[in-house]
Amino acid sequence: MNTPLLQQVIDRSTTVDDSPLSDLDVNFGLLDEYSKREIRRAILTAVAVPGYQVPFGSREMPVARGWGSGGLQISLAVVGPDDVVKVIDQGDDEGVNAVNLRRLIVSSTGIPESTTPEDSTLIQTRHRIPEDPLDERHTLILQVPVPEPLRGVERDMRELARMHAEADYARMWVSLYEDKVRNGVITRTTGYPCLVNGRYVIATTPIPRWDVPRLHQSRFLSLFGAGREKRIYAVPPHTDVEPLTFEDVPFEVEITPGAKCRSCGSSESFLVEVPATADEGGGHWVCSDSDWCRRNRHRQHPSNGVNP
Amino acid sequence: MGYAAARGGLKAIEAAERLVARERALGDSSWLESKQMIEKLRLAVDRVMGEGGLWDEHLAASALRQAEGDPIEAAHLLRSYRSTLPRLAYTTPVDVDDLVVLRRIVPAFRNPPGPQLLGRTTDYTSRLLDTADETAQRTAAEKMAAFLDESASATNDFGDDSDRHGDRRPRRLLDLLRDLDAVVDRRRVDDPEPFDITRHPARPPASRSARLATMARAETGALVNVWYRNILGPDGYLHEITLGEVRHGRLPVTVVHPLTGDEISIGEVRVTEVEAIEDLNGIDEDRGRFDVGYGLCFGHNEKKAIAMANLDIACERDRGRSFLEQSILLTTDGLDASGFLEHLKLPHYVTFRSMMERKAAIRQHQERS
Repeated sequence: MNTPLLQQVIDRSTTVDDSPLSDLDVNFGLLDEYSKREIRRAILTAVAVPGYQVPFGSREMPVARGWGSGGLQISLAVVGPDDVVKVIDQGDDEGVNAVNLRRLIVSSTGIPESTTPEDSTLIQTRHRIPEDPLDERHTLILQVPVPEPLRGVERDMRELARMHAEADYARMWVSLYEDKVRNGVITRTTGYPCLVNGRYVIATTPIPRWDVPRLHQSRFLSLFGAGREKRIYAVPPHTDVEPLTFEDVPFEVEITPGAKCRSCGSSESFLVEVPATADEGGGHWVCSDSDWCRRNRHRQHPSNGVNP
Repeated sequence: MGYAAARGGLKAIEAAERLVARERALGDSSWLESKQMIEKLRLAVDRVMGEGGLWDEHLAASALRQAEGDPIEAAHLLRSYRSTLPRLAYTTPVDVDDLVVLRRIVPAFRNPPGPQLLGRTTDYTSRLLDTADETAQRTAAEKMAAFLDESASATNDFGDDSDRHGDRRPRRLLDLLRDLDAVVDRRRVDDPEPFDITRHPARPPASRSARLATMARAETGALVNVWYRNILGPDGYLHEITLGEVRHGRLPVTVVHPLTGDEISIGEVRVTEVEAIEDLNGIDEDRGRFDVGYGLCFGHNEKKAIAMANLDIACERDRGRSFLEQSILLTTDGLDASGFLEHLKLPHYVTFRSMMERKAAIRQHQERS
């Protein structure tokens, strides 16, 4: 990708092929041009107001709502012929829904796919940020099931709108405090609430807490798409993303002492547990980022025949 | 190896697709014709068009066949198909008085203006499962057809001797109630553009047109459930309305010709239309009069149109005091609800790992203290 991504998004948001005849053909990226333009405009607003949930006229996609329809709309609205796409689910390129989404993007655009972030420009993801360092070349597109971080403390959408508008996050703070007092630890698991650019609290999708620090002052653009709830929000590059916590209560990521990946030996990646069973005995851990694990294994043992 | 393994997922998906496609198209029975579904599974096709927000009986039948009879899945196929199409024109506003009725009942009066026309309905038929074979059912149906032809030549379709065309567009009960000054008048004169739910997310507080459009496209069962929850208690308490009009009929659709500027007819849609009379009894309401709720949806779907009309007036009276509007706008879409429910089948091991870790952290804290 030669043109900076933001410029590309801007270019594509201001041009649209107005000829109705061209729209009757099968569209590049499936969506009709008017829909793409609308989604790009929502993305631009989201980038301009980091963390603000921009309403958009979410289209019905060939995947079910809740299965990445928001992320898919973003991918199809920003993808260009020079892009290379990587799609992961839980960190895994081989997850069946990741395969299905990738197949849709590739077949409707003809762009190449990759499993390696180094070779990719668009990375659509469900619930993980790849372990590899990402930079200006990358756009991370996160599939969001529930974009509203405050739903646990308020159900009325009118009141939620007011709370965001006035940056009134007092009840969120109270709920974190009560959590700490009752349980001794803050029990929020994934999708940890974060303050973006000192202004809006966002739901960090359900990415694990492990990934949250990667959003802070990142070099890449993160776009969050919630298709069912019809919201898009963004964390632009070089933006503060601070997990909500107290001065004397450190933010904790998922670490299990002594755990390391059985395949590549890493203890510095996000690990998922393969539990012990009566039949097969002791449990173990593996990297959730399967492609990174494969390459890491090769780095450790270059001679074992695994291709990078 | 990594590359080959990445294709493993694709192979599994393709095998699953083939399994579905094979059983759907082959099997021991004959091909399920679209025409068959349109004629004989009429209500299912109508429901798919309504929930899909697209009037096309053949596309809806194809979707229903592809979805193996699941109406929500079929509505999804229709809607995602529509996402690929540009919007080329808007129809001119339809006057619902142009509705040519196929069925019309007025429960509010014994002798309303215009006919009580039962039409094609099973409302008054005993629900006895007919297990007769095809020959027996066809023979019985032929006899009934002969009887229908006979009585039609004696009178007209209405079973009385009233003027045929005039009574196909009967005056509505609401007009009569207005003449009697028995209803409050909430008609607006500023004619705002209707809210387009396919282009903008409808969120509370929303305009009435946003609520009506949402309900017109809602999943039938979901809308009936919202209505029932509000009738029975857990969500609120709303009045049972009295039905003023229940109509099913054909409505002409026109667009403005892009070159000549003339209005031209591009066909007709079948719709169900309901007017629901509400007894106003609030302290701040005109208790000497009634109010009216409105429901209209694609196809023949009276359950949906009635629930819609009752919820329309309930929402109007609620004026944002409860969660009713939010329930209607946010929880009645079939694609939203079922898609999100079914997403639970996706792998969740990253989130679950995070939950396990916090459970361990809580236990550790409990042991320490």
